[in-house]
Amino acid sequence: MIPSHVLNMVVFAALVAIFFAFLTQNKPRDRARVIAVLGGAMIVLSLIVAYVMYPFPLAR
Amino acid sequence: MDEPVPDSPQQQTERPRRNPILPCLLAWCVPGLGHLSLGRSARAVAFFLVVTATFGLGLASGGTASVVDPQQPLSYLATFDNLALGPLDFVGRTVSLGGLVYRLPEEESNPQRQAVMNRMRDRVRMPTYEYGSTFLLTAGLMNILLILDAFDIARGRKD
Repeated sequence: MIPSHVLNMVVFAALVAIFFAFLTQNKPRDRARVIAVLGGAMIVLSLIVAYVMYPFPLAR
Repeated sequence: MDEPVPDSPQQQTERPRRNPILPCLLAWCVPGLGHLSLGRSARAVAFFLVVTATFGLGLASGGTASVVDPQQPLSYLATFDNLALGPLDFVGRTVSLGGLVYRLPEEESNPQRQAVMNRMRDRVRMPTYEYGSTFLLTAGLMNILLILDAFDIARGRKD
């Protein structure tokens, strides 16, 4: 069990990025690029969405 | 590790075609085994590690295998997604639900329904339950893509 929300997100992004890198690319260099771009994009976009949602409180 | 790289359209038409049933069945039984049977060993190892890690993390995080609940139509899709993991789904169901339960009995007073609901409530209380269930569903989706990928490779549509 991973207790940290951020670590969960990073691990999830890494696993999905590695999966699609091997699914869509044949060369190691291309796979590394997909892992970096896809994994990085998932993490950065999630942080942006979380920051944008920050002003909106949960409904009580 | 390098694997076959797509080349010219002329070479693509010369790809060997195989019966896709066995690779697809193997891919359903064990993630990556379909690709191994098609000679894609590097991919096979990577897929096996990624899918089993996703599945294991999901189970360890409190994720629960989905069961069909006629009152919730989306539960059919989620259960189908879990079933795509093959024998791994048996493990997931046994650990998270205490047995191979696929359908939630409709009668509220049914003791089996009560037992399954109690198991699910115990896991929902874990703080990482949502992450766990997401990991489990993602592992199932990954294996569906692997089965389709093995089909395409066997039919000569992909290298």
